Amino acid sequence: MPAIIEEDKLELVREAIETASLMRHVRGEQDGAIVAFDGFVRNQSHGRMTRYLEYEAYEPMALGKMKEIATYIHERYRIHCVAIVHRLGHLEIGETSVFIAVSAPHRGAAFEACRYAIDTLKKTVPIWKKEYFADGAVWADGELPPTPPSAKSAS
Amino acid sequence: MKVLFFGRLRELIGVAEETGELPEEMTLAQVFERYAKRHPKLAEFRNSMVVSRNQEFAAWDTRIAEGDEIAFLPPVSGG
Repeated sequence: MPAIIEEDKLELVREAIETASLMRHVRGEQDGAIVAFDGFVRNQSHGRMTRYLEYEAYEPMALGKMKEIATYIHERYRIHCVAIVHRLGHLEIGETSVFIAVSAPHRGAAFEACRYAIDTLKKTVPIWKKEYFADGAVWADGELPPTPPSAKSAS
Repeated sequence: MKVLFFGRLRELIGVAEETGELPEEMTLAQVFERYAKRHPKLAEFRNSMVVSRNQEFAAWDTRIAEGDEIAFLPPVSGG
């Protein structure tokens, strides 16, 4: 089985994410389930009312890391197809920032693969979020991606 | 050689990207030190950032080579 199948959809976009079309995209006749994660902008953060968000990415590296996630879940779980789409730029409250859909013959694999994909995206994909409030803006805390310990031990 | 900055690091430096020549025996940590000398506030972020070389996360003692693309990356917050 190929690591990434042709139908996988891994994208960074600047317009609204069309979630319904991604659901149709991953759906195959051999499948019995799709699990989707829809991450969208909430109206508050640490007790402050959010006005809007701005996302930026190291785009080629972010796409590379999204491909690594897709490759891994194809190897690790019995799934059919995956879509991972992240939006960049200005997002209003309630708009989808990230959408992940995983199809599989059986639901267990789809649940586990989708969970792995969003958890890993949040730790390893170089995307940053700035939160704008009525009285200022801050970069979200975020997570430090794991890095190789030392070049000396690498071949 | 291309050096990229993102998020709060980009705001601090004032540019997203610099192109230039750097000595090849330099490590990524030494490249960072050069920028931290020019922008002292940058040093405060040394322990809350990672570095990549040619779009892969890299150890700070990795040595650079001609044509490398280096990026300094704050904690990621996608999703």
